[in-house]
Amino acid sequence: MTEPILEVRELEGGYGTTRVLRGVSFRVNRGEIVVIAGRSGCGKSTLLRYLLGLARPWAGAVCFEGSDIWADGGQALAAARRKWGVLFQSGALLASFTLLENVLLPLSEFTRLPPPILWRTAMRKLDLVGLAAFAESYPLEVSGGMQKRAGLARALALDPDMVFFDEPSAGLDPVTSAELDDLILTINRTLATTMLIVTHELPSIMAISHRVVMLDATAQGIIAVGSARELGEYSTDPRVTAFFGRTPLAQEAVHHVS
Amino acid sequence: MTPIPDIAISVTGGVVHVRGFLRTASAGRLVTALREATMVSEVVTLDLSECTGMETAAAATAFEATLSGPRASVSFPPGRPELREVFEAFRRLAPPATPPPRPGLLRAHLEGVGADVLAAGDVLHGLWRFAGQSARALLTAVRRPGSFRWSLALYHMEHAGVKAVPIVAMLCWLLGTVLGFQAGYQLKTFGAEIFMPDLLGYSITWEIGPLLAAILVAGRSSSAFAAEIGTMRVRQEVDALEVMGFDVYRFLVAPKVIALVLVMPVLILIADFFGLLGGLLIGGWYLNMPAPVYLSRLHLVMLPIDFYWGILKGLVFAVIIATVGCYMGTRVRGGAAEVGQATTAAVVTSVFLVIVADALISLLYIRIRPTVVV
Repeated sequence: MTEPILEVRELEGGYGTTRVLRGVSFRVNRGEIVVIAGRSGCGKSTLLRYLLGLARPWAGAVCFEGSDIWADGGQALAAARRKWGVLFQSGALLASFTLLENVLLPLSEFTRLPPPILWRTAMRKLDLVGLAAFAESYPLEVSGGMQKRAGLARALALDPDMVFFDEPSAGLDPVTSAELDDLILTINRTLATTMLIVTHELPSIMAISHRVVMLDATAQGIIAVGSARELGEYSTDPRVTAFFGRTPLAQEAVHHVS
Repeated sequence: MTPIPDIAISVTGGVVHVRGFLRTASAGRLVTALREATMVSEVVTLDLSECTGMETAAAATAFEATLSGPRASVSFPPGRPELREVFEAFRRLAPPATPPPRPGLLRAHLEGVGADVLAAGDVLHGLWRFAGQSARALLTAVRRPGSFRWSLALYHMEHAGVKAVPIVAMLCWLLGTVLGFQAGYQLKTFGAEIFMPDLLGYSITWEIGPLLAAILVAGRSSSAFAAEIGTMRVRQEVDALEVMGFDVYRFLVAPKVIALVLVMPVLILIADFFGLLGGLLIGGWYLNMPAPVYLSRLHLVMLPIDFYWGILKGLVFAVIIATVGCYMGTRVRGGAAEVGQATTAAVVTSVFLVIVADALISLLYIRIRPTVVV
């Protein structure tokens, strides 16, 4: 049995008094690429906020490497954050720093290495995402895809055990998106990094996911878990088949299910 | 998946063996081992054939260590190209170029001053053009008041005007008290306390009231306008308005200018009132001057034009403060840091221009005000 790096148990949460998620439980094993998929408004981003410890769930637990991130007044969360990297939707680079400085930021904050080593490490990460030539550029001087790749380099700076992606292919052209997928696969293969990816891009899901966790707004939680192929070919849930078949979902089907 | 095995580093003659996965925390041991090896042998080899992997910072440390002293040759694990690739990448990525020699301190300072002057000229020029565009938007708003968004103006009137009343009133009352006390203290020596209301009345209505109200509004609202528009620029909201066909000046700038133009005179009258009230109280308490005496003295020496002129000043200040605040917001191009700089620049520039304008208007006023002979 493989060892889970991240485990979510009976998570419940939402905004204000509106509940978005309930009874969400799943696990991510070491070295796995798990995609959280679903239509807009199904609670994907809400779930990610809970996984990253940006908000505290109403009920249930998020465990990273076996310990509840909220267990001991934030210490477990701080420890977990050293071991994961996050790529935000827009890259979330600091605009007043160059790409290289952005990647250097976590390295200089969390390690005590001499500057030449920091520089080599950061440059290697930029090289890994194909941006070594743009090290001295500022985020606003490069394209959206490049900002995202630089964000990935920053997320990888400390060789995290796990990387979270929030809509990595949003706003990218198909070619850049496919290149980013390749990059994610390469990093997963060579560095054995566990990946959790929130997305609704079908081609990406088919290309990179080992397992898909599918959320739905009507169910306020998970409606299916499995490999992309299994879900696409064998699921009988109209919401799953509609998603994988890229077809509009008939209203009766929704009522029928819920 | 098997847990990553612990690292084992051993030195045999000139050969350093690494077994297992090298984490950054253990990289220091590798450096020490390499140093040991160089002491016993001329030729040093870093044997990574049993190394299962390295964290990038650990690999960088190892690579750097093989460069210092006598060059160590590296043997990589067979069948696992990743480590070799990482080392080759380090070799390919040249270290950062040394920065060009810095100019001398004096020269750098002079260059800095020059650049600042040019930048200030650029800002003033931009502000001038911006003011022109805003004036056009204002004219349209006045000509066709039906199409103007009065709700936005009302919102800014509340935030920039109504909410500023308590602080303006209190500070002016305090200043009026202090000024009255100081004037009384000097005049008492000559037995001329009766002139305290003259001094106070002139200084409050001509200068202190309008200036204090303007400085407070600049601090509160000029910064708020700059931050609002600056953040909108960062989030591309301004671009969105533009491509939807909105006249950004009419939509974003004009309501703010009109709001300030409407509230500033009121704030100045409030400032005047509380400043003079402070004088009245200190007169009664410190100079034993009954309120009717204070008021009749004020009535005798002050002209209605003293108040009107303050209001006129307020109109000019309002236009300056709103325009500068909005303009600084539109100059934001980059990210969060620039929004901060824009708010600072908005307050500093608007206070500066307000005081310059105040000086000019005051000089003019002294020439045209009819003399009151008592």
